Parts: sequence; structure tokens; C-alpha cells
Amino acid sequence: MTFSADRPNMIEFKDVHKYYGDYHALRGINGTIKAGEFFSLLGPSGCGKTTLLRTIAGFEDISSGAVLIDGKTMAGVPANVRPTNMVFQSYAIFPHMSVQENVGFGLRRDPRSAAEKARAVEEALEMVGLKGYGKRAAHALSGGQRQRVALARALILKPKVLLLDEPLSALDKKMREQMQVELIKLQREVGITFVLVTHDQEEALVMSDRIAVMFEGEIAQLADPETLYRRPNSKKVADFIGTMNFIPCTILSEAGDKVEVDAKGLGKVALDIHQAPPPRGETPVVGLRPETLTLLYPGQTATERETAGVIDEVIYFGDMTYYDVYLGGTDTEVRLSMRNVPGRPVLDVGDKVRVAWSPEALVLFR
Amino acid sequence: MSKAPALRLYALVYLLVLYAPIIVLPIFAFNDNTVVSFPLRGFTTQWFGEMWADPNLRIALKNSLIIALSTATLATVLGVFAARSSVRYAWPGKAPVMGMIMLPLVLPEMIVAMALLVVLLSIGVPLSIFTIILGHVLICMPFAVAILTSAFQSLDRSLEEAATDLGETAWGTFRLIVLPLVMPGILASFLITFTISIDEFIISNFLGSGRPVLSVYIFGQFRFPAKVPSMLALGTVLVAFSVCLLATAEYFRRRGIAKAGGKDTGGFL
Amino acid sequence: MAKSNSAEARAGWLLAAPPAVYAALLLAAPLATVLLYSVLTGEKGAVSTPFTLSNYAEILSKPVYKAVMWRSLYVSMLVTLTTVLLAYPIAYFVSFHVSPSKKSLWLFLITIPFWTSYIIRVSLWRTILGYDGIIDSTLISTGLMDSQLNILSNGVISIIITLSHAYAPFAVLPIFVSLEKVERPLLEAGQDLGESKLMTFLRVTLPLSMPGVIAAVLIVFIPTVGDYVTPELIGGGKTPMVANLIESQMLKQRDQAMGSALAVTAMLIVGIVSVVFVLMNRRFIGGQK
Repeated sequence: MTFSADRPNMIEFKDVHKYYGDYHALRGINGTIKAGEFFSLLGPSGCGKTTLLRTIAGFEDISSGAVLIDGKTMAGVPANVRPTNMVFQSYAIFPHMSVQENVGFGLRRDPRSAAEKARAVEEALEMVGLKGYGKRAAHALSGGQRQRVALARALILKPKVLLLDEPLSALDKKMREQMQVELIKLQREVGITFVLVTHDQEEALVMSDRIAVMFEGEIAQLADPETLYRRPNSKKVADFIGTMNFIPCTILSEAGDKVEVDAKGLGKVALDIHQAPPPRGETPVVGLRPETLTLLYPGQTATERETAGVIDEVIYFGDMTYYDVYLGGTDTEVRLSMRNVPGRPVLDVGDKVRVAWSPEALVLFR
Repeated sequence: MSKAPALRLYALVYLLVLYAPIIVLPIFAFNDNTVVSFPLRGFTTQWFGEMWADPNLRIALKNSLIIALSTATLATVLGVFAARSSVRYAWPGKAPVMGMIMLPLVLPEMIVAMALLVVLLSIGVPLSIFTIILGHVLICMPFAVAILTSAFQSLDRSLEEAATDLGETAWGTFRLIVLPLVMPGILASFLITFTISIDEFIISNFLGSGRPVLSVYIFGQFRFPAKVPSMLALGTVLVAFSVCLLATAEYFRRRGIAKAGGKDTGGFL
Repeated sequence: MAKSNSAEARAGWLLAAPPAVYAALLLAAPLATVLLYSVLTGEKGAVSTPFTLSNYAEILSKPVYKAVMWRSLYVSMLVTLTTVLLAYPIAYFVSFHVSPSKKSLWLFLITIPFWTSYIIRVSLWRTILGYDGIIDSTLISTGLMDSQLNILSNGVISIIITLSHAYAPFAVLPIFVSLEKVERPLLEAGQDLGESKLMTFLRVTLPLSMPGVIAAVLIVFIPTVGDYVTPELIGGGKTPMVANLIESQMLKQRDQAMGSALAVTAMLIVGIVSVVFVLMNRRFIGGQK
């Protein structure tokens, strides 16, 4: 999953600001997207992710700062000559044209012969799995097919960057999961830089080499999926990506690369400094993902730490069971998830249990 | 829910009354009697012959066609500008400016006509077919704007962005994407403003200085009882023509909505 | 294309300029001129200073003017009342009792008469209502009556019949549109809670459709006040309304100042009545999305 950092920069944001009247939509965006990378802009609606994508495409002017594509500044470069192409959220398939007219739309100014262009269209359609659909009317396509036409139409121009604005949000769950895999494969095949906008953290984690999490016009964290998940740099990012238990704690000491905290219900824990992102002046809490906590069944022992608890709630999911557990006789409640395997009975509310956990899995927010 | 015999009966009677004059029109246009009253006397096409024999009718018809074609063209072109600007762009002062363009919809036509007349006379513009066109464009423009606004609204903004994104210039995008998709609305606007212009009486009467145009001609002829049957014949022809035009306009409007993938929300108004 | 707000405003302005300039020159400027003329003195086709309010004073004092203004007002109010009352059941029928696929057809049928020559339609009412016209001859030949009714001889009633007929589609459409917006589950909820159908209609449907009724009232009322053709053709010039009066002042008396003052007064009356009506029904507007 880690992405080689030695690739050249494809897109650079340099202190990008965008105002709509008084509204400050982008608040100093900095960062780079590498060539050939599958990059995601992730955040809740209204966080500025689509605006940022549109500044790359050239549909949105920036108020200050700079956007560079392949080393060249995009200031004053109109959308129709930028080396980017976009797949729109609504797909924007031209309704009065056939599939092949849609796909071949961008080739109008291409000096190649009509026959060569027709072949290019056919190849593009084949690439997205729509071979032989060229003559169909655009309005007769299903949602998934529209999506593929939009992809073929954008990729046929061999852009340096393909921009995807929530391309999967209109599809049903099954189709969405299938398209996620296909998009990843396609991106590897063509090697073009993909920039995806999504509000779906799972989608971003599955598909991306790197993700920028955005809140309120700012990039909160830019990292690869694993780092984002395991080492979120703020409570907000941790909360947005997956589920995390937050446990109140007090900081006992901080020396060198060690921080010692006393977490309510867990007791004293020594953390490595890399488990503690830079302080933000918040009330200190330690974060713990549900799957890093394990219920110990009779006969099992913890490899690292063990805490007694009482089950407060049982949520059965078939393959998994979620337990809400009070820890160490306190009012600290954590959620933990257990895979349901044979010989591991689902427990009941009120059962006294032992919970195993590892200090390594903790993140300290303060 | 669908069974309401009293309401249904009322609806049929209502439609019947609504259509009464139009039903009367052909009945008496083909009736062999100079007096429009029952009982009917027999079938004749003499009134159609008499109607067409009047050279004034042909002059009036020619003038009306010139006026209606010019009006429909100008009002639709101006309507495209106004509708496109109001749907696509945000600009200060949009509400009052659009309000001014739409104002003739709620102004008595006599006031519009008299106000124009006062100004035209005071700056010394002679009254002619041209001044009728000026007035007609003014009162037809709101209808054009209304129809075209809904046409432009049903156009997904991202279609234009997609065309730009794929390398088209602003003009190319307008020509290849916007124009074909709003064309049904443009046709509907043209047909409807054409119909309004043909029908319009007050401006034609007061801004034309007695130039014969269709509505003024009909108005004048109806004052002579002897001319009534041939006017009914003319009316029959005009109604048939209007219905054809409207059916065509409605067809284009619906096709436009279907093309843009929208939902039909009713009639012209 | 990339556009900042000011560039967008400029593009919007440029596009809107041709129709806006057209309307400014041929509508706003003439209306301003009428306003100006109304406070001047008019004589033999010309106007002269000084500024005076004597035209308005005359309108307020002379019984002829007051009578015509009053007639215009009550005729158009009666027309509005008739039209809207008759239109509501039709709009209700089409909205609630016609299958969705056939609604467009019904609306089309209702609008067609509107698009056929106004002059011809109005003239036809003359032949229908007139002495020995279609109604009279039908009634006599079927033996229902033995003398002519001659409805046409009653100018005001004839005008009301003709105008109500002419403006019918204008009233049906807005009411229909607002009825279409009434959510059907709301009505079922009403009946589910034990309301009778009539009570559901009075307490749910009618209030929710009021925006359409208000629109219909304005759409019919405003132009009928200023109607010229019907009083001229149906009333035979004997029952003039305000448009006929303006025309006669402007062209026959050649008093442009007086004509202008009458036009301004008419616009003011229409405006005031409309605003008062809207304010009276304020609670129905805006509550619905």
C-alpha cells in the first residue's frame, strides 16, 4: 500500500485560497499529488473537496495561491486546454448523441483520420467493457454503463490527470463495489494520475494510494490509507475514518520519546511519541479501534495487557458481533468487535469478561 | 379515488362551454344563411369563397405574416439572451431587470400601446408595420423568456462543463451541446410568439395607423352583419391553423423535456 | 470555464443586455413618459408645463371618470370571482381524478381555446348572445321561450360572460399546479385520522391550494381591468371600461395628459387592489414549498 515517494509531482497546491463572496471555501491548501498516483479527496459534504477538484479542472478560479499541473502553473489556463479530464457526478453524458459520439466528442479537433478516430473510440469502449455499444443511444444506458461511457470519453484524450467527482455515488452498493475494483485495475492499466472526490471513507481506503482528508476548507491529514487508519493525527480524522473509542486520560509524564498516561479504565500506559500527534490543546483522550480489543474466552490469556469488564450491549451482525463493554469497573465504555467463529459463543449482556489490548494500538489526542 | 361522476359531468360541461364558440364557428361557417341563428339552412362553402375574394383580406394576411414572422424571430432571439443569462449567470440587479422584461405580462395592453404611441409620436416615428413589430416583440418577449427559461433550466450544467473539459471552446460548447438541447424550446417559443402576434389586436390597431392586419381586419368586418358568415369562415381556417401550430409546439416542448431527461410538469403557462 | 464572480456578472450582463435595453427603451421609457405627461397640461395632441395635479383632481371629481373606473373594477372583480369559482372544480378534477398519463391532454384541451383568435372568440359571443342570435333562436325554436332574451342588450352581463370565458384557462392552470403539489399521503392521513372527505378538503386541500387560487385571481383580475376589445365589441361602446376611456382621451379627445393620468390611475388601482389582496391572504403564501 505504501506509495513510492520518489515519483515526480503531478499536481501541486501552493497555499490555495478560494472565496465565494464572504465564504472562505478553501483555506490555504498545500500538498502534492504524485504522477501515476490514485489520490482521493475525502471529507464530509461542504468541506471543499469538490471545489478543490474543480480548481484542478479549471472550472473554479482560485482567489490566491497557485495550482501547478506537471510543473506548469494553471493561472489563466482555461479548462478546455488543461491536460485534465473529468468524470462528472451526474456523468454528463450528452443525451442527444450516441455512445460513440459521446466517447469521440473530444477528438473533434484531433488531426487523425476518421477511421483512426473510430478505432480509438472502439478501443476506449473496449477498455471500459462496452465493446459493441457504440451505436446505442446515450439515454438508453443504465447507470453503470453511463459511468463507463463517461470514463471512456475522458480517457480517450489520454489526459495527464483524470478527475473523478463522486463517480460511484449514484450506483447501488453491489455495482459500486464492482466499479471500485474495476477503477483500480483501470488506473493501473493506463498509469494516469487519478484524483477521486468522495465522502465515503471506505471507498477512499479501498481505492487510494494516498488520501487527503478535508474539513472546512482545509486538509486535515494527507497520508496513505494505513497511516490514516492507524495513526490519525486528530480526533476528528479518527472519528471520520472508521470507528474509534475515545477514553479520557491524564498525562502523567513526558520525557524523550515516551509519554505516560493514565487512561480511565485501562490504567497506566506508556506510549511511544509517534503514537501522539502534535498537541492541539484539547482535553487528552486515548483512541482505540474496536478490532484492536479482544474478548478473552476461558483458557485464553492476554499477550500484552488485560482489563476486566462487563458487557453492556451486544450487537449481532452474523459474521461479527459488536460488544459495548464497561472497562475496569469504571463508566468508560468501549465498543469492540469479535469475529464469530466456531467454539466462540456469543456472550450476553451483564457477562463479566476480560478484555485484551495492546498499548501499541493506542493513539493519544491532546 | 377516480370515481366522481358529478365532477366528471361538470368537467365535460365546462369543456363544452369552453369550446362553444369554437364549435359554433364551423357550424355557421358552412351554414347557408346570412343570419347566424338556428335552425340551420343547409351546407355551403360560399362564405369561404366570399372571404377569400376580398383583396383586403389578402393584404391583411400578408402584413400579419410579415409582422408575426419578424416578431417571433426577434422575440425568440431576445428571449434566448434573457433566459440564458438569467438561468446560467448570477449578476447584480437580475431580479429588477428580468422583472422589467416580464412586466408586459401584467400590464393592460392598452397602457403598453398608449405609452409606446405617446413616445413614438413625440419623437416623430411614423406609424407602420415596423412600429407594430416593435410593440409585438415587447409583449411576446415575456412568453418567449418563460418558455426558454424552462428549456435552459432543464439543461444540466455539467453537460456544458463536460464539453469544455473535453476541449471545446465556449462557442463550440454552445453550438454542439446547448443549442441542440434547447432547440425544442426555441421552436416552441417561435410558434407561440407567432400565434400571439397574429392574434394581437390593440397594438396592431393603435400602432399601425390603420394598416390592414388580420386582427384589425376581422374586428372591422364583424361590425357589418352581412360580413359575419365570411368572418366565421376565416375564423374556422384560423382556428384549424392555430390548433396545428400549437400541437406542433407542444410536441417539440415535450420532446425537449424528454431529451434533456426531465419530467413533464404541464402546459405552456 | 474559469470565471470569477465579477467576470460572471459581466458575462450575465452582456447576455441580458439586448433584451434589457429593448425593454428599457420600449417599455420603461414610455411608462416614464406617461408618468411625466400625467402631471402636465394637455391640449390638442400636445402637452405643456407647468406641472400640475389637475388631471388627477379631475379624475377624482368627475362622475364620468369615477363611474368608468368603478365599472372596470367591479366588472373585473365579478369576472375574477366567476372564473376562479368555476375553474377550481376543473383543476381539482384534473389533478385528483384524471390518471397521470392523461393530465397533459386535459391541460392541452383546456388551453387550446385560449390560443385561438381573441377577436373571433369575443365576436362570436356577440352572435351567440345577441338579439335573435344562437341562444335566442335556440330557445325560441325549441319552444322554451316565445320572445328574445337578447342578453347582449345587458352590456355588463355580456362583458362578464365573455371575459370569464376568455380567461378560464388562466385560472385553471395555477390552481391545478398548486393542487398537484398537495401531497397525497397528507390527505390519506387526514382521512385516517377520522376526517370526512369534505373536512379533509376544507382543512387540508383547500388551504394548501390557496397559493394557486391567489395566483389565479391575480392573473385574471389584472388584465381584465384593462380589457379593451370586449367592452368595445360586446358592450357596443356603450359600457366603456378604463382602457376604452384611455383610448378615447388619447386619440379622440387628443388629451395625452389626461389619458396618461387615467393610465397611471388605472395602474395604481390595479396595483393597490392586488397588493391588498395578497396581504389579506399572506398566511397561505410561503407556507408551502
